[in-house]
Parts: sequence; C-alpha cells; structure tokens
Amino acid sequence: MYQVDRAYSYIFYVSLVLYLVSIFWGLFVTPEDFVQGNSYRIIYLHVPASFISQSLYIAMAIASAIFLIWKVKLSAYLVRSIAPIGAITTFIALISGSIWGIPTWGTWWVWDARIVSTLILFIMYLGLISLHDSFSNHEKADKFLSILVLVGSVNIPIIKMSVEWWSTLHQPASITISDKPAIDLVMLYPLFGSIVGFAGIVACLVILSSKLQILRRERNKSWIKNYV
Amino acid sequence: MFNFEFNSLAEAFLMQSQNGQNHGIFVWSVLIIVFVSILATFIFYKMSIKKITKKLK
Repeated sequence: MYQVDRAYSYIFYVSLVLYLVSIFWGLFVTPEDFVQGNSYRIIYLHVPASFISQSLYIAMAIASAIFLIWKVKLSAYLVRSIAPIGAITTFIALISGSIWGIPTWGTWWVWDARIVSTLILFIMYLGLISLHDSFSNHEKADKFLSILVLVGSVNIPIIKMSVEWWSTLHQPASITISDKPAIDLVMLYPLFGSIVGFAGIVACLVILSSKLQILRRERNKSWIKNYV
Repeated sequence: MFNFEFNSLAEAFLMQSQNGQNHGIFVWSVLIIVFVSILATFIFYKMSIKKITKKLK
C-alpha cells in the first residue's frame, strides 16, 4: 500500500500532462478531416474511453481467473474495484459516440452491433456491481462475481469483431496490429498520447477504488489500523 | 512551434467545418462530459477514503 501511494502521484501527474497535451494537440493543432469535418476531433475523447472500457473488462476477467484458481483475495477486491471505473469509461464511450453520431450519421442512436454490444458491456458493469452489493456474505459474492465476469467476457471479442462480422454504421477499426493505420500520422500521434494518458488517469482511479475496497473489507484487521 | 487550425478563440469555439456546419457544440459537450465524469469520480473516491480513514482512526 505504501509503494502504491508513492507511485500514485507520479502516474497521476505524468498521465494528466500527457492527456491534456494530447487533447490540446488533437483539438487545436491537427487538421480538419476531409469527410467528417471538425466533429472527428471527438476521436481524442471517444477512442481512449472505448479502448479502456474493454481493457478494464479484460483485466477483471484475468483477476477473476486468478481468484478462482489460486484464491488470491486481492484479485477479488480488484474485480469489485474495477467494475465502477469500467462503468464510467463505458458511459463516456457511449455518450461521446452518441454525440459524435449527430453530425456524422444524422442520429444520436442506431441499433448497430458495435453500439448495442457496448451498451451490453455498460449494463454488465452495472449488473456486476449490483450483484456483488446484494450479498451480505462477501466470500460468496466474490465467487459469484468472478464466475459471472468470466462468462461475460464473451462480449469483448463480440464488441471487437462486430464491425467485421456485421454490416454496421460504426466505422471499422482505424488502427490494427497487422495493417498500416487508416488515419494520417498527424492525427495518430495525439490519439496515441490521449490513449496512454487516459489509461494512466484510469489506473489512478482503479488505485483509489482498490484502496477504498481494501479499507472497507479489511477494516477489522490490525495492519489496517497501523496503516491509517 | 504549433501550426494552429483556428485563428481566434471564436473560431475554435465554433469549429466551423468546410461544409459550413459548426461542430464546436458537439466537441465541447463531449469534452465537458469527459472532464466532469473523471473529476466527479476522483472527488467521490478521495472523499470516501477520507471518510473511512477518519472512522478507522
């Protein structure tokens, strides 16, 4: 906990500066998009949120597997801590996507495979939080939560591949590991910066959320009394 | 150092595209929603931790 406290401020300030610089670069310096006009600048806020919302679920699934296999208590705390942060990032992804849709598609919502699967992710995050909080027995809640997270992880490849499997209004991925990026490098650099910066800020939120979870769950232990 | 896309604050606020539409309202709304959501989450966790730490002391 002491080491995490020390690392927290470094991660926070470096990520915040990187995020703000990248957003400034994306909003004011990069050129206008030929097709979408200036509305494309929402990419610097939407893409990091969307990418991180899915990454957080993968992190939850890994922590759930660790908890179920090796019974590491900290993993169970981490699963419960990530869920609200995942819900917030998914909410940002959905709202920013909807607002982007108004000038680009002419509508704020379509029942498109990518959008619906992201909405399911948001509902899943909320459901997981409610499920955990509905149990009075924390150990039982951790077990059920971990199993459900693993079952729900099937939605992540669906979100990723939805634009390939179905004909969607949502554009296909502009950046892939195997192909050359579909967007110009001038637009790509600030996008990378905003993704890394946002990831750092979200990591700080996960640290705070985990700290709160540990303090709540371990409040009767002697080491917590020494820590505070 | 920078080659800014907009010549004035008013232009940056409106973000008029080549098709004549003003996209500033969409971009700025998203920016506000993102910043408020993140800030509110930070404040919530910081306050909750402070509250529980006080109780434990």
